[in-house]
Amino acid sequence: MATVAVEEKLISPLGRVEGDLDLKIKIEDNIVCDAWTQASMFRGFEIILKGKDPQAGLIVTPRICGICGGSHLYKAAYALDTAWRTHVPPNATLVRNIAQACETLQSIPRWFYALFAIDLTHKNYRKLPEYDEVVRRFAPFTGTSYEKGVTLSGKPVEVYAIFGGQWPHSSFMIPGGVMCAPTLSDVTRAISILEYWKNEWLEKTWLGCSIDRWLENKTWEDVLAWAEENESQYNSDCALFLRFGKAAGLDRYGGGCGSYLATGTYFMPEMYEHPTIEGRNQALINRAGVYDGEEFHDFDHLRVRESTAHSFYKGDTYLHPWEGVTEPIDPKEGHAQGKYSWAKSPRYEVPGKGPMPLEAGPLARQVIAGRPGAAEYQDYDPLFLDAIKTVGPSVLVRVMARMHEACKYYKLAQKWLRELRLHEPFYSKPVEYPEGKGFGATEAARGALADWIVLKDGKIENYQVITPTAWNIGPQDGNGVHGPMEQSFIGTQIRDPSDPVEMGHVARSYDSCLVCTVHVYDAKTDRELSRFRIGELG
Amino acid sequence: MTTLLWLQGGACSGNTMSFLNAEQPSACDLVTDFGIEVLWHPSLGMEMGDHAQEIFRACASGEQPLDIFVFEGTVILGPNGTGRFNMFADRPMKDWVAELAPQANVVVAIGDCACWGGIPATAPNPVDSVGLQYLKRQRGGFLGSEFRSKWGLPVINIPGCPAHPDWVTQILVAIATGRAKDIALDELQRPLTFFKTFTQTGCTRVQFFEYKQATKEFGQGTRTGCLFYEFGCRGPMTHSPCNRILWNRQSSKTRAGMPCTGCTEPEFPFYDLAPGTVFKTQKISGVIPKDIPEGTDHVTYMAHAAAARVAAPEWAKEDMFVV
Repeated sequence: MATVAVEEKLISPLGRVEGDLDLKIKIEDNIVCDAWTQASMFRGFEIILKGKDPQAGLIVTPRICGICGGSHLYKAAYALDTAWRTHVPPNATLVRNIAQACETLQSIPRWFYALFAIDLTHKNYRKLPEYDEVVRRFAPFTGTSYEKGVTLSGKPVEVYAIFGGQWPHSSFMIPGGVMCAPTLSDVTRAISILEYWKNEWLEKTWLGCSIDRWLENKTWEDVLAWAEENESQYNSDCALFLRFGKAAGLDRYGGGCGSYLATGTYFMPEMYEHPTIEGRNQALINRAGVYDGEEFHDFDHLRVRESTAHSFYKGDTYLHPWEGVTEPIDPKEGHAQGKYSWAKSPRYEVPGKGPMPLEAGPLARQVIAGRPGAAEYQDYDPLFLDAIKTVGPSVLVRVMARMHEACKYYKLAQKWLRELRLHEPFYSKPVEYPEGKGFGATEAARGALADWIVLKDGKIENYQVITPTAWNIGPQDGNGVHGPMEQSFIGTQIRDPSDPVEMGHVARSYDSCLVCTVHVYDAKTDRELSRFRIGELG
Repeated sequence: MTTLLWLQGGACSGNTMSFLNAEQPSACDLVTDFGIEVLWHPSLGMEMGDHAQEIFRACASGEQPLDIFVFEGTVILGPNGTGRFNMFADRPMKDWVAELAPQANVVVAIGDCACWGGIPATAPNPVDSVGLQYLKRQRGGFLGSEFRSKWGLPVINIPGCPAHPDWVTQILVAIATGRAKDIALDELQRPLTFFKTFTQTGCTRVQFFEYKQATKEFGQGTRTGCLFYEFGCRGPMTHSPCNRILWNRQSSKTRAGMPCTGCTEPEFPFYDLAPGTVFKTQKISGVIPKDIPEGTDHVTYMAHAAAARVAAPEWAKEDMFVV
């Protein structure tokens, strides 16, 4: 019987996933046969929030993640809006929408060039066609597109600063609206900055065509044809990435669990003047929903649970976040109990199917956008549902879904800027009820993000946050089912086990901001699994 | 060539994200024009796993000369002093910091967390977070009050939640262009050139402060008035250049109508976010602000305020930042 080499490998740190992610993989004949994602840092934000001012989440939760702090603020404000039954003037909803969109517009080029594309310059790929061109454009710091993309990524958040004072880490969204009251030149400046960003990066560098031409693509086949349509599009960063990504095999691995979650974002101002949990789905422009691989379901936050079976918290709990507990244990003790990450494992109780892990992020959002039955004001977009049904999910498709959103959110932000009515209110002072329960959610650049708050005696009784990173990189649940990213690693072929760049591609395609998990791992108390220990199976 | 290693402990990456908003110089300019060689950065480093660890070990042993060590985030000591709440590259992050800091010519703490503990050190400080050389206002921190880098400097604190990119990039350019000796520090080890002034210095609401005219409501209410009286603005008590060097080249929190939360001072978040303290001015007897401008006392403040209110011209009671 042939001997199969099984190598266990710990990659620590993985880097460029924002925060600390350690990955333990088991390789058999250069194929990943098992994977454990280990979030390795814990700060205890949910513990800090207990007993604090009801509005403390507006200051604290943005600091969970400096990359999507504006998204944290957005959902923290809605958690209080629902708990305090506020009135939110339409202007305030528009400003919140604009700010949320601008944070994401910042993230798209910054993520692509600084975090993702530099791996394409890896020496593994030096024999592929157009490698020199990829290096010329995407090499860190010196690449022509890298420098442009990273520097111009600061532009959309200039718009955020006009409304919120600064980015990152403003707390200008508050229950009842926003703190600012923009003037005419604030709005015209914002319009002009976005226009500049769109011209200089999105159209000139990324697409090589107008955003309207890009948005005519409704199927994956359309995208492939678009890339060959003319010289300008062929030479764009987008088309270069498509060609090179395919040559590098990014379309052949990293698919994941095949089930998706969007908690949705951006509200119709007139439909959400009185934010309620029940009225949320209907008022969303970018819809919430769950796709279980076969059918769509409406999103219902009451079906969300978090498992601590393999996370460094006391016991093996499986609770809805309103009842959620955060009691950390020493990772050393945790390892002895088979636990391996600071991330909890969020699961969704799919009707008729039970608990499922769900992928969050741009691909998930765009799959949900393909669900038929959208209202006239809601986003309907069949492109990525078509992609996962025709070519299937992969690193390449996940990247393209993220980039696609730049065009959509740009158009929305410009539309909302034109809808602001400067002489009307931006804030409606709420009654600060001492008791209540709230739920607020949004879509951070990297996916579904939500807060659950319980107020009692005028202070926070319980505060639980579920980040997109927890959805994606969470460990196995109580049933031993792997999280979405773990599933994405399994089955991947690794060319050079001593330098597994493929693992980097997969992890970064999720844009997991690990700091964003609130709770995270310890790779190495697993002493017996020391790096490069080579075992053998008969 | 100036070598730079940037690591994150109990961090949110906010200082890195803020840094990437920089222009003149941008992050890229620092590398291409000012000869900063980034040995590794958690968001920007090419290497991962064992290859990244080789860099850290070479720096820690002194084999790789390290000019600037930038640390973002708190140093996490828990549980029970083991540092296991924050493992990095195979060991507690605190052990890396202990080995790397003494090898660097200059150690820079970027953001509140690295300076003094910041939000993660808010009561009950669940993971035992400390700053590099302070815990809140108390000197010592992780490295101890006697710590000096190879150039004989204490940790350079660049606080803020996050730090403004210019506060970092201009210091890096100063070091790279031989002006390190011009960096004077205040008693909290912050560069004086940025942190001598107050957040209020340059605030567009300063005339309303002068005449003691309060903003009465958020949103449309912020078209006039000063946020100090009702909304807990800490602009007069906080040292920062937020209204001299604007954020994202556009604005500042106070200009946009958001009260300053005092995030460049070690006590941030003030009052540990206790019920009733968020976005609300703390008052004595329901009228007198508990925290008053630095260097004054309550009696003088109240006498000045009474006179200022009488002196207030009509325009100071009208909307100023209008459509």
